[in-house]
Amino acid sequence: MKTKRYILPITVVLGFTFLYAPIVSLVIYSFNASKLVTVWGGFSIKWYAHLFEDDQVMHAAWLSLKIAFISSTLALILGTIASLVLVRFGKFRFKSLLSGMISAPLVMPEVITGLSLLLLFVSMELLFGWPAGRGIVTIIIAHTTFCMAFVAVIVQSRLSDMDESIEEAAQDLGASSLWVFFDITLPVIAPALVSGWLLAFTLSLDDLVIASFVSGPGSSTLPMVIFSKVRLGVSPDVNALATLMIGIIAIAIIGASFLMFQKKK
Amino acid sequence: MTTDEQNIITVQPWHDPAAKPFIRLKNITKKFGSFTAVDNVSLDIYEGELFCLLGGSGCGKSMLLRMLSGFEQPTSGSIEIDGQDQTGVPPYLRETNMMFQSYALFPHMNVEKNIAYPLVRAGYKKVEINQRVEEIIDMVQLNQFAKRKPSQLSGGQQQRVALARSLIKRPKLLLLDEPLGALDKKLREETQFELMKIQKQLGITFLVVTHDQEEAMTLATRIGVMTAGQIKQIGGPQEVYEYPNSKFVSEFIGSVNLFEGRVTEDTENHVLISSKQAGCDIFVGHGVSCAPNQKLWIAIRPEKMNISANRLEGKNNIINAIIDEVAYMGNMTVYHVKLNSGMIVKITSPNFSRQNSEIFQEGKTVYINWADNAGVVVPS
Repeated sequence: MKTKRYILPITVVLGFTFLYAPIVSLVIYSFNASKLVTVWGGFSIKWYAHLFEDDQVMHAAWLSLKIAFISSTLALILGTIASLVLVRFGKFRFKSLLSGMISAPLVMPEVITGLSLLLLFVSMELLFGWPAGRGIVTIIIAHTTFCMAFVAVIVQSRLSDMDESIEEAAQDLGASSLWVFFDITLPVIAPALVSGWLLAFTLSLDDLVIASFVSGPGSSTLPMVIFSKVRLGVSPDVNALATLMIGIIAIAIIGASFLMFQKKK
Repeated sequence: MTTDEQNIITVQPWHDPAAKPFIRLKNITKKFGSFTAVDNVSLDIYEGELFCLLGGSGCGKSMLLRMLSGFEQPTSGSIEIDGQDQTGVPPYLRETNMMFQSYALFPHMNVEKNIAYPLVRAGYKKVEINQRVEEIIDMVQLNQFAKRKPSQLSGGQQQRVALARSLIKRPKLLLLDEPLGALDKKLREETQFELMKIQKQLGITFLVVTHDQEEAMTLATRIGVMTAGQIKQIGGPQEVYEYPNSKFVSEFIGSVNLFEGRVTEDTENHVLISSKQAGCDIFVGHGVSCAPNQKLWIAIRPEKMNISANRLEGKNNIINAIIDEVAYMGNMTVYHVKLNSGMIVKITSPNFSRQNSEIFQEGKTVYINWADNAGVVVPS
């Protein structure tokens, strides 16, 4: 009996250690004064200062944030429209086919998505002259397409969970379809929209593979810069950069769940 | 016209051939592919009525409600509300409001905002909205809950919010879809009377859809009994209970003993029906329109039959039987007695006094009898 009491806490500790030990060590080593990544040389924040002086990193970070913001917003709008059509517009031809196709990008290998988008952009440029070359615009388009699938799946499940009779009630009480959407549907699915947007944002922020295919000169995103830096050997300033990213994402997620918790109350 | 007659007409406008119906359904049919959900229904409802559509699930009663509110369009036929044809009028422009079975309260708005919503959408001034919301919150006694969200309310309170919200615009017709279905028995009985009080107070025409015959009997001025997309009978509670026009209606409302038989003697003031199930000729003390040897049924309510230990005097409508089961319910005792034909007849007998010793035990041989006007003859 006594051993049984310890089994649960021990498994929990082991499981979470497995998940978080790498991240914790990364955070700790980002404050390492030593130039050697694996040798502790005392506490220091010099790598952070070093990071902010690195123009290449700062430029890539700003670019990544911009791309993530724009493409997650576009993905939110398109994904929401798509799920509204699929859930609320009754039965129409090819509905289940479309419904399946919208979630296909979720399981599509990124290499294939990236390659096919690259081919698309190249042949579009040949045919219409747009997009001219590859850069921010192509990355935004690429990120919007795959993020949209995630948003659509999240919003779709929230919409189908939602009691449709409350929309009918609003209509019955004098609201036209547009008012029903803004007064009732939107507030009710708002938590799903927030989490869909956040998911799209983080997905766009840490995408390496697709961005590598569709980016052009001068439009390297942060993950691309980190990856190329690491190929030359892990330097401590990469640790600092990663720690900052973890911090930003953690704050965003904690903030979002706090908002949703408040909503529920 | 005597004052008595006049009274009847003002209380029961459907008896007055000159009265103008307020809601008029003309030959409404609704088809989904080859399935007919509503089959050529015509129905007149008068102003201030509390009309109940009663039927089992899938009988088309909710579809009628949805067509009245505008969510569904009839395949053929027309709907008129207060003289205006409703064809093509969208739900948000109809002067009907609906109380949904699930209440359909807006989860992100508190009680006050939920109730005010129809007025806000209609563009009323803030002062008037506040005043009317306050009035109606008073009426449904929700004052202390005005700031709460629907999820923080009990089922009964949610029901009252839904009622208040659907009434605040003072619709010409209020549609109620199983309004008390989600409440427990005791609360349901209280709320039934509250609902009737509110309806009388506001004078709004109510159309209630329910599968609960007790609810329909308590609430309704008239009941429409529905099955398979058709209204089988329309009448006051007493009328549909005491004078059902078919086997279906007699069985659907209350419980009934149905004896199958054939007409053997047909005179102007009595009919004799020979029934194998009853094991005797059933004597009906009034004329019935029927053909000789026609097959028909006599429907007799359990409370209109008596049990006695000894054979009563007289020769008609007395059958020998054995008590099969006894259930003591407090206010009455329910007997299942077995006839010689094997048919089980249900009889209820009120317990008039506490010392009533006339409770028969299982297995006892008894006589059952009924008056010659106790039963209703139904042709199908």
